Amino acid sequence: MKTLADLKAIREKAQQEMKLRNSNVRVKVIVGMGTSGIAMGAREVMKAFLDEVANRSLADVVVTQTGEKGFSSMEPVVDVVEEGKARITYGNMNAEKAKRVVVDHLVNGNPVKEFIISTEE
Amino acid sequence: MQDLSLHLLDIIENSARARSTLIEISIGVLEQENRIVFNITDNGCGMDAITLENAQNPFYTSKSERQKKVGLGIPLFKQNAEWCNGHFEMSSALNEGTILKAEFEYDHIDRMPLGNVQDTILGSIIGHSEIDFHIRMYRILKNNECREFILDTRMIKSELGDIPITWPDVIQYLNDLLKEGIKNIKLEEF
Repeated sequence: MKTLADLKAIREKAQQEMKLRNSNVRVKVIVGMGTSGIAMGAREVMKAFLDEVANRSLADVVVTQTGEKGFSSMEPVVDVVEEGKARITYGNMNAEKAKRVVVDHLVNGNPVKEFIISTEE
Repeated sequence: MQDLSLHLLDIIENSARARSTLIEISIGVLEQENRIVFNITDNGCGMDAITLENAQNPFYTSKSERQKKVGLGIPLFKQNAEWCNGHFEMSSALNEGTILKAEFEYDHIDRMPLGNVQDTILGSIIGHSEIDFHIRMYRILKNNECREFILDTRMIKSELGDIPITWPDVIQYLNDLLKEGIKNIKLEEF
């Protein structure tokens, strides 16, 4: 059973880690969760990002969900926003592609060109 | 939408877009009455009477980004409930919030499965970390025994102090907590 004591342990461990490394948010991942995105599988994409962040302990990545932006024919849509860099929008995403974006783009810094539908300075 | 948990996610997104700071969600199975009931209450910007009426019309959307002016989220949820000998109602007050209730006959042949409530809730909590969520899931058995699971992010956040709810280990914790909770109350069993 998960208890509040587990949460306390997580907090103590996290406070130690925060002291050791810079844990400011470096990358924001924004999953489009409008009605059409949801119908096309955006929730599974969201979950794949969350699983990867949790499993790889990516404390400098924050995953958020938002309404849609008018890319209905290319849903699920995901934005990656990094400070000082152009905003990258990925389209036609699924859980597998999300995992690839985490490894190639978020961890290794190489955007996955074939999934990109728009780049905005 | 293939299942009820996706409809729920769509409704939560509406509440988030209405700039809510607290979203209360309850999902209950009432064995005696043969019902499954959803209740989503937010403290967002609310709607006036005309917008509230429009929101149930498929050819209305408040999303200005859209080129095609359709909004199927609420009308489909309503239609699904009504098809299943259920009931759908929304009430709202401008600047106060919105209450949405949907009821389905549990055993109805056309009732969609509940689906993955765990991922709907986890995604919403982490994806809208600035919003507080009070989640209640329950099942009232024929003998009136009530099994319930409650998750309140205000309590989690106060326990975490300066650690954000989006922290990797916290995501894992909430995922496991939800999984256990839903399993323990056997929310949807056949």
